Amino acid sequence: MKLLNKTIRSYLVYSFIILLVTVPLFYFVVRSVLLRATDHSLKTQLADIRSNLSSIHSQDELITWSRLDKDISLAPATRAFRDHIYTTYRQNRRRGDQDPYREISGVIEVEGNLYEIIIRSSLVENEDLLGSIVLVQTILLVLLMAGILWINQKISKNIWKPFYNTLNKIQKYELNKSANIDLPASTINEFNELNKALRNLFNRNYEIYLQQKEFTENAAHEMQTPLAIFQSKLDLLMQTQSLTEDQAELIHDLESTNRRLIRLNKSLLLLAKIENGQFPVNEEVNIAQLTQKIIDQSKFHADQYSISIKSGSEDPSIIKANSSMLEIMVGNLVSNAVRHNRRGGQVQVDIHQNTLRISNTGVESPLPDKVFDRFHKLSNGTEMGEGTGLGLAIVSKICSIYHYTLGYRYENKQHAFTVAF
Amino acid sequence: MKILIVEDEKELLKSMVAYLKGENYVCEAASDYKTARQKIETYNYDCILLDVTLPDGNGLGLLRELKQEKKTDGVIVISAKNSIQDRIKGLNLGADDYLTKPFHLSELNARISAVIRRRHFQGHKILVFNEITIDLAAKVVSVNNKAIDLTRKEYDLLLYLAYNKNRVISKNAIAEHLSGDEAEIFDNFDFIYTHMKNLKKKLQQAGSKEYIRSIYGMGYKFDV
Repeated sequence: MKLLNKTIRSYLVYSFIILLVTVPLFYFVVRSVLLRATDHSLKTQLADIRSNLSSIHSQDELITWSRLDKDISLAPATRAFRDHIYTTYRQNRRRGDQDPYREISGVIEVEGNLYEIIIRSSLVENEDLLGSIVLVQTILLVLLMAGILWINQKISKNIWKPFYNTLNKIQKYELNKSANIDLPASTINEFNELNKALRNLFNRNYEIYLQQKEFTENAAHEMQTPLAIFQSKLDLLMQTQSLTEDQAELIHDLESTNRRLIRLNKSLLLLAKIENGQFPVNEEVNIAQLTQKIIDQSKFHADQYSISIKSGSEDPSIIKANSSMLEIMVGNLVSNAVRHNRRGGQVQVDIHQNTLRISNTGVESPLPDKVFDRFHKLSNGTEMGEGTGLGLAIVSKICSIYHYTLGYRYENKQHAFTVAF
Repeated sequence: MKILIVEDEKELLKSMVAYLKGENYVCEAASDYKTARQKIETYNYDCILLDVTLPDGNGLGLLRELKQEKKTDGVIVISAKNSIQDRIKGLNLGADDYLTKPFHLSELNARISAVIRRRHFQGHKILVFNEITIDLAAKVVSVNNKAIDLTRKEYDLLLYLAYNKNRVISKNAIAEHLSGDEAEIFDNFDFIYTHMKNLKKKLQQAGSKEYIRSIYGMGYKFDV
């Protein structure tokens, strides 16, 4: 849930409850007040009539008087009872529906005869009044709450704006792109402090990143010389007279190991170079041509193990990139496809709609997700050769630099790597 | 033949000198910019091996000075950096070749031979080993004056062996030499057996003696 919604939701719930409680409460309070007023007026009327009874001297007079007022009805009573007030409904002659009335019923005595007198007062006006009052009240309440909510939301939005700005900046931040993160100053202290803390954090991170990057490159560079010395000494050792077969074999093993070290070191250097953006020259590269060149180079090697490489590409796709980088990328993918194959297997290379797809036979199970990680090696190599564990990491790095989409899929017992340019 | 090796790494320098002495080159060494400059000013060399990173300067600076003084010494730039820009820069400055560390001494030797041959034996670019003749200009190999048909790789292989004659060359060195850029892609060198087998067969069929010897699976030797 969003921060703004969270605060507003509490207000909304509170307002709704208040609205739900106050409107009926108000309705009942006003209604009872109005009823009491009506009752009071009815009682006063009855009392007035009683006090004025002395001016009426005959039964006829009484009836005539009672007929003059349609709100009063008179009937002979057999016994005396206490006044009582009640609500009743009567037929409205004009409209034909039931109207509510408040009636007081009491007994009066004229000339020694008992009469039941009923005085009534229509409640229709009361109800109308009540309705209007409640309506106005409801509208007012709704307006009030909506206003409060609106103002609150507006203020909240303003208050949290720096926060969202910062969040947005952090989300877009890429460590390898730049050191500085531009976080605008805010009028709110807490946010300024947050930004300050973040800036420190990012700067520290960037420094560590630089150090690490530099270290990789320096370390790989420094290794070159001892490796070169080692290689040269081995070359000299080979020339010594009267080597035994065992010694020769040891020298050969040492040399192969050294070669592996050299390759590993070269790959590390290459990765560091790519990370440092040392391949800036962008040129127009015909990817189909470049791929074909690499396939031709690999054919001899693949033929040794009866692995067939087939290629099919459509229209010539021109890509703006550094051609050495592309060569490394395609080369790594193709050599992987050959290396992790089996005798008599196939490699299929296609370029279709700006997507390079290299699929090959090999182990009959999909590769794990970690396959693009550094030093994630599937096996200790096949007879077709051993990798450094950096090939796909390099491919992945190149793809991320050029914003290519690198994908892997296992389908029809084939491992397929795709690069969408 | 006089060679100057400019290299600040003592052990590497020692190895290079040791290997090249066996080729009957006169080797002189300089381990810093200043010494190298003095030597270059004073003497002429058939080939100068120039390390780019020197403690007191850039080897390419020496190359620049050399060319300004219109010296004709052959130069092979040796660098720890395998970057195309550096390679192009070196070659543009007039270097004859460019070699990246680490390298095989046999590769270095082959490059030196090639440079020296290009500079000194103009019009006479022919190597002779008993009945085998290699014409460098025409890239033709003949046995007893009869040309034999070699593939490009087989020719390269024979030339590499010939440049390093009587030396043990490791399989790795041969494979790297033959595959060039592919070596960056593949690390399995079984393929050199095929080339070696075909080359030997073709030479023998033409009547050559067996000069190419396998040394315990470690490497090969061109014994003449």
